Amino acid sequence: MSSPMNQSKRAHGRGRVSLRGIRKSFGTFEALKGIDLDIEPVEFFALLGPSGSGKTTTLRVLAGLTPPDEGLMTVDGVDVTHSQPGERDVAMVFQNYALYPHMTLEANIGFPLKMDGVPKNQIPGMVRDAAAKVKIDHLLHRRPGQLSGGQQQRCALARAIVRQPRLFLLDEPLSNLDAQLRLETRVELKKLQRSLDVTTVYVTHDQEEAMTIADRMAVFLDGSIVQVGTPDEVFNKPSNVDVAAFIGSPSMNLIEGHLNGKTVSIGDYRFDLPKLSNHPSGNVIVGIRPSHIALGGAGLTANLYLSENLGESMLLNFKVGDNLIKVRLPEVRSFTDNEVVHLTFDSAHVHLFDPKSGIRIDL
Amino acid sequence: MKNRDSTKYLRNATLFALASILLFIWVFPLVWAVVVSLKSEAEVLAYPPRIIFEATAQNFKDALFGGVSILPSLITSLIVSTATTILTILIAVPAAYAFARLELRGKKWLGFYTLATQMVPPVGLVIPYFLILNKVGWLDSYQGMITVYLTFSLPFAIWLLVSYMEDIPREMEEAAFLDKANRFQALWHVILPQVRGGIAVTIIFVFLNAWNEFLFAVQLGGNTVRPVTVAMYNFVSVEQTLWAKLSAAALIAMVPMIIIGITAQKQIVKGLTVGAVKGGGRQ
Repeated sequence: MSSPMNQSKRAHGRGRVSLRGIRKSFGTFEALKGIDLDIEPVEFFALLGPSGSGKTTTLRVLAGLTPPDEGLMTVDGVDVTHSQPGERDVAMVFQNYALYPHMTLEANIGFPLKMDGVPKNQIPGMVRDAAAKVKIDHLLHRRPGQLSGGQQQRCALARAIVRQPRLFLLDEPLSNLDAQLRLETRVELKKLQRSLDVTTVYVTHDQEEAMTIADRMAVFLDGSIVQVGTPDEVFNKPSNVDVAAFIGSPSMNLIEGHLNGKTVSIGDYRFDLPKLSNHPSGNVIVGIRPSHIALGGAGLTANLYLSENLGESMLLNFKVGDNLIKVRLPEVRSFTDNEVVHLTFDSAHVHLFDPKSGIRIDL
Repeated sequence: MKNRDSTKYLRNATLFALASILLFIWVFPLVWAVVVSLKSEAEVLAYPPRIIFEATAQNFKDALFGGVSILPSLITSLIVSTATTILTILIAVPAAYAFARLELRGKKWLGFYTLATQMVPPVGLVIPYFLILNKVGWLDSYQGMITVYLTFSLPFAIWLLVSYMEDIPREMEEAAFLDKANRFQALWHVILPQVRGGIAVTIIFVFLNAWNEFLFAVQLGGNTVRPVTVAMYNFVSVEQTLWAKLSAAALIAMVPMIIIGITAQKQIVKGLTVGAVKGGGRQ
């Protein structure tokens, strides 16, 4: 996924982060159950997961705001597990921005420089540069309360990038923006990160956001990392059933089936997986995304339950026994209620999972 | 529409009348004190009281510069109240911050203890304080009086400030820590400017309580430390009460409070942190 330019920067870049066996409990709640993670220099890395999965706690461990109970954290080979936040050379954008309400934007953005002991005469120039990068240099004399949500968010970004930190942490920075602004800011954020060459860790519960913005990502579920990879890898080769169900919208269909040699059967429907090699026969969970199912042919018999017209495409919900199967049709046409159709799966895009452990069976 | 307008008018008129009555009850003693302070002692005792009389400033002159001048007592009150207020703020601000933010062992217990001192009726403490100060040799001394006042003002100030500090989102400080501020810098640059309103309110209350205090002043003070509340008593004796001079003295004693109230009011408004954080801050 990364360009050759980035590869060369990584070789001698700074901001290589590694976590080893990080555990953290709050009372009886185990928030992090042993996190291992390696983040490369200059990488845009997303921590993705539903709420309560431990992604924000991991970010706070990286920031030094939440000391881990166990484990080791290094930045560029230096152990910082027990360093104070200020000693780590990290900058963070909080979900609620945490701007200082009594200071002008200029003072807000200049605050880290002032605390860092940057000579007073250099601060205004650096503040102006940072503000210009996020296009708020015309607002420097206002206070946070006089700005819109989007402008506040940019101010928080400017305050984070003004002193060129080793590590740049973003905690759901777009979640307080409206949908339109979120899409625009997402693109700008990606560009900004490219131009800054700073290792960036980005927390989000929005899988689409993570897919589009990140070089690599870690999927969190229930206090553990279940998969680390590029958006492509995570999307196309989910490591287990939970990841498969979490990534993608609408989510992947997961249907009980049976494997016999290279043939998968779901009810009466049979299809071959020629690439499958030597997996013992038995029950499996068959995973297939809604866009990889076609109508017609000698396929799975299904009753139409509900159809949603999305304008350019259709989302169809079929009932097969007790299962609900979603199909994305790349065209719009009319169906009758309870229409019976046959569904055929694109075998190149079928995933198999072990029904007991939920782990992916490699094809 | 018309009907609604008239109902609204009636409601406003009723509210206005009610407010006027309450205001009158509240303001009457003050107005009466002003009137009395401008009369001669003989005029005060005239019955029925006369609405029209010859106003005189003599009472104010006497109260300030006469034989029983309250001027030295005013200075004493000013010293005691100012010192109490400054010391209270200096101690209460870090204490409140610690209560609001630090994870201290026994914090809950300490918090309750601080509050519990407020539950004892002051009258019950006069004699113990007298005995203690007597033993230490601090009766009728500034340090004695200020220390006693601190025992009342500190718990009050700490609890008032804790509530203001708890209202500030934690992220604000965490952001400051990440910006390489240490705890003291975070308190100074980020927290304190946002609780200015709370500090202003605390200053007013602490100063007001110290300035108006009478019970402890009369028992634990003396000729060296005689606050203005005690000194006013000079105008009341067994034979007669000098109402006009007493009123004048009372009005003079009010002036510092009014000045503080007006100056601090601006700070209270400034202290509001609207729009700091989405959905946060004191609205």
